[in-house]
Amino acid sequence: MADLSDNQTSIRSEFADDPDMQDLVLEYINKMALRVEKMTAAYEQGEREQLIRLAHQLKGSGGGYGFPILTTLAGELEQTLLNLGEGGLDQAAEPFSALLDVCGRMAA
Amino acid sequence: MPSTQANESDERRHSVLVIDDSEDVHRLLQARLRQENITLLSALDGATGLAMAEQEAPSLILLDLDMPDLDGFEVLRQLKETTSSRDIPVIVLSGLHSPADKVVAFDLGAVDYVTKPFDLMELRVRLRAALRMSDLVEMLGRLAHIDGLTGLWNRAHFDARWNECIADNNRHGKSLSVALFDLDHFKSINDTYGHPAGDAVLQSFAKLVKRVCRVTDIACRYGGEEFALIMPETSPADAAGVCERIRQELSEMHWPAHPERKITVSIGVTGTEQTVEIAPEKWLDDTDKTLYRAKKGGRNQVIATDIQSGNMIQQPSQPTQQAA
Repeated sequence: MADLSDNQTSIRSEFADDPDMQDLVLEYINKMALRVEKMTAAYEQGEREQLIRLAHQLKGSGGGYGFPILTTLAGELEQTLLNLGEGGLDQAAEPFSALLDVCGRMAA
Repeated sequence: MPSTQANESDERRHSVLVIDDSEDVHRLLQARLRQENITLLSALDGATGLAMAEQEAPSLILLDLDMPDLDGFEVLRQLKETTSSRDIPVIVLSGLHSPADKVVAFDLGAVDYVTKPFDLMELRVRLRAALRMSDLVEMLGRLAHIDGLTGLWNRAHFDARWNECIADNNRHGKSLSVALFDLDHFKSINDTYGHPAGDAVLQSFAKLVKRVCRVTDIACRYGGEEFALIMPETSPADAAGVCERIRQELSEMHWPAHPERKITVSIGVTGTEQTVEIAPEKWLDDTDKTLYRAKKGGRNQVIATDIQSGNMIQQPSQPTQQAA
């Protein structure tokens, strides 16, 4: 499990100072609210497959946009969900919450 | 095969097709690979990716594995089972990290496997390496179809393209002509002036044919001192005109190694302006017979006939100088 000791600070992209990436990172962050909304809806409605897909996409893209912690946490959520079998999503509450926390603290 | 001339340059900008269901990944690749000499094509699902691979014939495919509906494994399998796409190198770009996934991907025909999130430099060098290898494979394929002495296409290439042209004629009824050339008394050139002189004649004749014919024509060394020229979308009358120009220019050429000896060629041309029901081998056999008539008629001349009717297209050209 990733350790986020200071959960108040914003998390800046590793590419925040890269002129080729600034606009892309900003767009990525701006769309994060929509992703969080989709993940929350999937979680609350028990749509495990949809939540796995959304987590998998975040795992694949987070590091590329300079947020390796996003890749780590999304990967942990994905793995937890895969290990659940057909069980309830409540068991994934902790990694899900950790991921959403980071999504809310992302900054360019 | 991208060109019809064996000596055409290989220089070109590569196109790379990205098949991934994440728009974020597409945007990221567009930004990160901007410096590379490539054009990126995007497909957001497997079915679209398969269609684009067939239509666009990209130089390389970057393929995600975990996609809804048609997953990357199935896309890869179909790519490798389709004639038009099976030779396109595929690099898997996936968030699936397990050795089992990698084994399956390589077994299905992937040339490389990069895990997400990808390291930019690693992806770039792997992509360049795959494109270099692809270029080498393509070059080897082309060399296998090129005649080493003259640089024209060889007999194997002629056979493949001739069948394609016949099929195209059958489907669309487009004009099609073919010419067979035989250098007159070529053996005596070798015997009298040596094989280097004979080779120089073959090379000069090949250059002449390439210079006179169009880029869409397919010039081949058929074997020994025999050459063939496929002329798609060309009537037999026009083909005869091209061949007459070749015949005339050759007969007027000066040969430093043997200035006293002129070189001439006999040419048989057959063609049609409509769809014909004829086997490729039979068509060639009839063209060879037309060439034989040119030989028997005194050499250094063009004889052209309509392949369907057998009617002569033009009177045999008058030799400008009798072959030695």
